[in-house]
Amino acid sequence: MGSPWEKLLALARRRGAGYADIRLVKTKTESVALKNDAVDTLTARTDAGYGVRVLYHGAWGFASRPGADAEGLEEVVERAVGVARASARRQREPAELAPVPPAVDHYRSPVVHDPFDVKLEDRMELLREAVTAMGAEVSVARAGMSIFRTEKTFASSEGAYITQDLIESGASLSALCRDGREVQTRSFGDYATRGYEFIQELDLPHKARAVAWEARALLEASSCPAGVTDLICGGSMVALQVHESCGHPVELDRVLGSEATFAGTSFLTLEKRGNFQYGSEAVTLTADATIPGGFGSFGYDDEGVPAQRTTLVDCGKFANYLTSRETAGRFGQESNGTMRAVGWQNLPLIRMTNINLEPGDWTPEEIIADTKRGIFVEGPKSWSLDDKRLNFHFGQEVAYEVVDGSLGRMLKDPAYTGMTPEFWNACDAVAGPRYWRVHGLPGCAKGEPVQSIHVGHGAAPARFRQVKVGVGQ
Amino acid sequence: MMGQSFAQEVIERALSLSRAQETQVNLTMQKLELTRFNANAIHQNLSRHQVELTVKAVDGGRLGTAATNLLDPGSVQEAVAKALVFARLSPPDPHYKALPAPEPLPVFDGYAPGTGGFTPAERADWCGVIIDQAVKAGVESAGTFSTETNELAVGNSRGTRAYHRGSQAFLRTIMTAGDQTGYADQLSREVSDLRPEAIGQEALAKALTKPGAIALVPGEYDTVFHEYAVADLVRFFGYLAFGALARQEGRSFMAHRMGEQVLGDNVTIWDDGLNGAGLATPFDWEGVPKRKVMLINRGTASGVVYDAYTAGREDKKSTGHATGGGYWRGGMPGHMFMATGNTTLEEMIRNTRRGVLVTRFHYTHCPEPMRLVATGTTRDGTFLIQDGEVVARTRNLRFTQSLLEAFNRIESIGNTARLTRDWWSTFCSVLPALKINGFTFTGSSTF
Repeated sequence: MGSPWEKLLALARRRGAGYADIRLVKTKTESVALKNDAVDTLTARTDAGYGVRVLYHGAWGFASRPGADAEGLEEVVERAVGVARASARRQREPAELAPVPPAVDHYRSPVVHDPFDVKLEDRMELLREAVTAMGAEVSVARAGMSIFRTEKTFASSEGAYITQDLIESGASLSALCRDGREVQTRSFGDYATRGYEFIQELDLPHKARAVAWEARALLEASSCPAGVTDLICGGSMVALQVHESCGHPVELDRVLGSEATFAGTSFLTLEKRGNFQYGSEAVTLTADATIPGGFGSFGYDDEGVPAQRTTLVDCGKFANYLTSRETAGRFGQESNGTMRAVGWQNLPLIRMTNINLEPGDWTPEEIIADTKRGIFVEGPKSWSLDDKRLNFHFGQEVAYEVVDGSLGRMLKDPAYTGMTPEFWNACDAVAGPRYWRVHGLPGCAKGEPVQSIHVGHGAAPARFRQVKVGVGQ
Repeated sequence: MMGQSFAQEVIERALSLSRAQETQVNLTMQKLELTRFNANAIHQNLSRHQVELTVKAVDGGRLGTAATNLLDPGSVQEAVAKALVFARLSPPDPHYKALPAPEPLPVFDGYAPGTGGFTPAERADWCGVIIDQAVKAGVESAGTFSTETNELAVGNSRGTRAYHRGSQAFLRTIMTAGDQTGYADQLSREVSDLRPEAIGQEALAKALTKPGAIALVPGEYDTVFHEYAVADLVRFFGYLAFGALARQEGRSFMAHRMGEQVLGDNVTIWDDGLNGAGLATPFDWEGVPKRKVMLINRGTASGVVYDAYTAGREDKKSTGHATGGGYWRGGMPGHMFMATGNTTLEEMIRNTRRGVLVTRFHYTHCPEPMRLVATGTTRDGTFLIQDGEVVARTRNLRFTQSLLEAFNRIESIGNTARLTRDWWSTFCSVLPALKINGFTFTGSSTF
């Protein structure tokens, strides 16, 4: 199939662009959420538009406009070229793109049950069951669900023409309890590039009972004591730790300073690749956009590079960055396919796909039994890292004391802090494949203007020795 | 630009199509031009045009929303119909009262033609001013320069009609000299207010001051905060405590302490969307005129901001603080001001025996919302003050601190306030510099 935009790409070339690509993105989203006895959110959104990216004498320009109709797109091409010409006024070295075979292909994400075929009444009924399951003692009970359909078309001046149909689904729960003295919240959320079968597998009413029970119990719990102790992170906490302290610092555009003014740079500077001890031998991290159903899975990135799996940290040793065609070219490499844009209106940036801590061979029970003193934490509540992703502070919704190999009393307001390499080098146990799953995070922010993208993180419970906990009590 | 007549035509068309008992239609347009530079060269540059129509339908106290960025007749009709279908499928909301009735609206034009017409070449040249400063000084510059035009039109079935256009320009830079960085920014409605030379010079001076960062032992320090850093501290009050919904749901320190002394008696914070010192806008997402709301008056919890929904729950009138995005409720203070004091930043430093000077924060978050326990790290210029003088650059520090406690220990407040936006760009507020005694730093980075 040939691109319908050949004339537009030819126009870009006539205007001096050495490279051009056009993306049409159509999205349909439905979000519904119940809060106690009322609807909190009930929204349908339809969105479509074009983004045009050009490389003019090695300088980038990008322009976008809403609408599904290609009529008048010449104006967007001209605007993109005009922007690129302006970039060329302050250029140091021309950008060059690593080669990629121009693909002509179609990709469709695996879906058993299209969520848009499920009646809204049925979706709301499931959420109502979840809210009811939280019980009357919960002051604010919220259950929400979002479904997404995205149709993407990509064509480049190199001859690529790729269409992709992606279906995503996810749900979230939160239970807020208060007793006049304080407020405690427990929550749950998960998303996947899958259909309604994913929602059904979540068993929201069951999870709602669990988060409500913990939220109520937290009101009576002791505060997490401050000190240095062994830390066992549950899967969702490991997922966020991977996201913040591995996923972001391995973005090569960050390393090169592209995000310096806002999101920051990275401690994983270029000389560290291949020889830096990022973590212990128990730590192997991968980027894998090919995991079926992962919230960071797709067929091709927004430069037309096929989805792939890359080892980022190999048994503790820092091995690779996430790259784009431009940044990979600096090292004589090919892109590992992580240039992603949110919608048609934004230019693609290096983004996480599914960034995973590969499973170990422990069971969670063995990890706890093997821990003399420590805390088990779960449920991310706050996250903060410095602008090189070294110093971090994570707060959690709940913790349990670990004493002599057993879980003990519940603790409220836990938090831990540390430095990224020290933390990952203190990892000595990761639970096995049976306890490993991909957690979907719906809002990874980066770039100016900010783009909030969907990512996934394969994670299982893991232990970290001698971590500073209870900070801020 | 969309223009008022086009916007109103779309609003009227959508309203006329609706069969709901009540309907609200919003039309937004954004033209964003943004240039980023790094390593003394432009590396990203974009021109983004966006539009969105949002329809809220209300039927028997049941609410549904649909949005589209396609304005052809079929798409508009589809959105109107979908909103009503959604409304009829939802249960009645026991707290819902009504869409706001029309009110007289302040009229002013927030659009600056100079900002709206600024070209990519002009942006490149202004970035070039900063780049040239960096090259001359032998350092590296990075930065962002955006010019933006926004339009918002609101109409509802009770007769509310509102249209406003505005613009803003924002330029910021980081200068990097080896391991040292310095930051400066400027925000204004009018691009010609921005001074790239001054911004570059401020960041450069900060980057070159006191080379060789020392490690500071974590602990409590009397701390002087530049307005950039104050924006991140005040942000927590704004989004966690000053909205009505947080108070109604009992998840804010304002919930049970209205009328009580909650902060130091030298702290006064209010919201004023009509004050031209901020990015003034005449009305909110629901077409309700902006009203000035005193939030903290000499340390006393005085008020929260409302949208129509949260106001209805308390039989009050909306204060004009509804925010965009379909069915997002609660009220947010988008135009905060903090009363100035009588001290300059230099005097705060001079009056400090041993303390810390903070330029800016990075990636702050709130582990404990009720106590407003916040955490984050400093960046782009953190310094040790000794005997009234800046004596050394320090490595970046992590703070973990209850802001309720910290704002009870404000020793001095800057005698001027500037329009500044926090790291997250949640709010654009007009704020002074602060000196807070005994501010808690819980860690240090290695750079």
